[in-house]
Order: sequence, then structure tokens, then C-alpha cells
Amino acid sequence: MRKRLCGIVMVCILAAMVGAAPAAMAATAERYLHITVNDATKGESVNVNVPLSMAEKILPTLNKGNLHNGHVTIGSTEMNDVDIRALLDALRTSPDNEFVTVKEKDQDVRVAKSNGNLVVHVRDGAKGGEKVDITIPMKVVDALLSNTKNNELDISAAIRALSDAGDALLITVEDASQHVRIWVDSKNASE
Amino acid sequence: MILFGKIALGIVGTAVAGVGVLCSEGMIEVKVVERQPEVHHVYVIAPAMLVPIGMHFAPQRDLSRVATQIRPWMPTIRAALDQLRDSDDVTLVEVKEPGEHVRVAKEGGSIVVDVQDENETVHVSTPIRAISSTIEQLAASGPTI
Repeated sequence: MRKRLCGIVMVCILAAMVGAAPAAMAATAERYLHITVNDATKGESVNVNVPLSMAEKILPTLNKGNLHNGHVTIGSTEMNDVDIRALLDALRTSPDNEFVTVKEKDQDVRVAKSNGNLVVHVRDGAKGGEKVDITIPMKVVDALLSNTKNNELDISAAIRALSDAGDALLITVEDASQHVRIWVDSKNASE
Repeated sequence: MILFGKIALGIVGTAVAGVGVLCSEGMIEVKVVERQPEVHHVYVIAPAMLVPIGMHFAPQRDLSRVATQIRPWMPTIRAALDQLRDSDDVTLVEVKEPGEHVRVAKEGGSIVVDVQDENETVHVSTPIRAISSTIEQLAASGPTI
């Protein structure tokens, strides 16, 4: 009797494990967009952690100004008649390359496409000058241009792409006192 | 004797059911410690369901005004609260300054706000379900357009 009971319990546990396995495998870890701003001179710090799934769900509900249904409309006047969509599309389809390199006495600027990322570096050589590093996965640029009209960018799709792109340090800005960092990972707190 | 037993059972049953309904939306917890000029401790824990009930006693004119302002944002608020409810625990915002620390987090099913400065410490924990039902009720009050 006892053996039979043990057998039934074992079968139940196995059935539960088999049943739960696909669900556990299907469940993907939540991804977070982290923003930290540290001001060393004032001793201040601000940390913001946003679950990407939340941003993805909230964006389509915002319909104000240029933002509607997760898309942002870019007016030609705002961009001084630069076709940002055509620019991004050209960037997307071109091979890895250095697009812009500016070297001045006090400033270096570099815009390139490298290893599937759009990379922007700005160095201000002056004392306490700014250092800006931007790395945007090209998948995100692709997503920005997907399913949109000519003068629109799909922000929701870009967030989805960001979510799938793996851990990535997107933006760092440093100057003499402040340090700004924006990145994506699956940790629910800033380090 | 049996009659008294039945009555007692009825009273206890009603009380338990009442407490169950009252606590169904969780509890709001407020803790305040004032350090200056004297040390004061305030600790309040109350059923979150009291908030929507309490709103029935708020002036209708004020509720209508707030409802008009909040209604356009309801889809956004609903989406945010739904996602927060389903998400893992997370510190949403943390601000540190010399002598001051503010933290807004999602812990369990609640939104927790902690504020610490030299003079006082404040901790407020509110169940997301209660926030949701209160805002829904607030949006529903007043004239519909």
C-alpha cells in the first residue's frame, strides 16, 4: 500500500515537472533600461530602472504631440529638412565603415558602423571636457524604420528590438563632475 | 444554548467575512519617524479598501475636476499598473543627495515610497490593486463626456 502511494506521488511529481518545464523555458527574463546620473561634486545620484516590457506597453497608449501609437512623427521643419528616415535607412544598408571623423584642436568626433552597432564617439579635449559614447545596435535602427510611414519612426518596435538585443551599454556621458550612463540588462537594480 | 451558539457563529462568520472583504485589496502602511525637534513615531496600517470607500465622502465637484484631468491618461495608467503588477520587484527610482535619500520601488504587490532626510523618515506602502481601483473610481466619478 505504502509502495503504491509512493509510486503515485512520484508519478504526480514527474507529471508536474513535465508540465511546468515548457512554461519555465518559455518564460523570458525581464529586461530593464537603466539610467544613472552621478554628480561627484555635489554627491548626488539618480537611478532610474524601467522594465522594457512596461515601456513597450505604455508607449502605444501615449498620444500627444508627435507621439502616437508608439510611433513618433518627425516634421521636416524640426530636422532642418534633413530626411532622418532616409539617413537611417542608408546607414542600415551600408557595410561597416567610418562615416564621419572630425579632429579638431579640442574636439574629436567619430561616427561609424561597427559589428552591427552604430557608434558615436565625441571627445572634448578641453580640461574637464565631455566624453560621449553612444552605441546603438543596428537591430534597433532597423526596428525604428519598420512598419512606419515615411515621416515616422517606430519607437515601440525599437524597444522590442532593444529587449532582444542582449545586454548593452547604450550611452555614457562624462564631464568633470557628472557621469550619465544608460544601459540595458536583466538586472532589476542599478549597480 | 444551541441558539446562542448559532448566533455567535453567525456573528463570528460575518466578522471574518467582513475582515476578509476589507483586506481583499491589501493593506496601506504608513510609517513616519520625526527626529526634530522631538522624536515622534507614527505608524498606520489600514485596509486599502477604505480609500475607494472614503472617496464617496469627498466633494463631488473636486472629484469631477480631477476626473476630467485624469481621464485622458487612463489607458496609460492602466497599462503601467498592469505591467507593474506583473513585473518582478524593482527599484524604479532612487535619488541620493547628501542627507537625503528617496526611493520608489515595486515590492511584492505594492508600490513602496521611502524618503529619508536628516529630520524624518517616511515609508509608504500601497497595494497596486488598491491604486488601480481608486484611480478607476476617480476617473469614473463626474460627468462623462
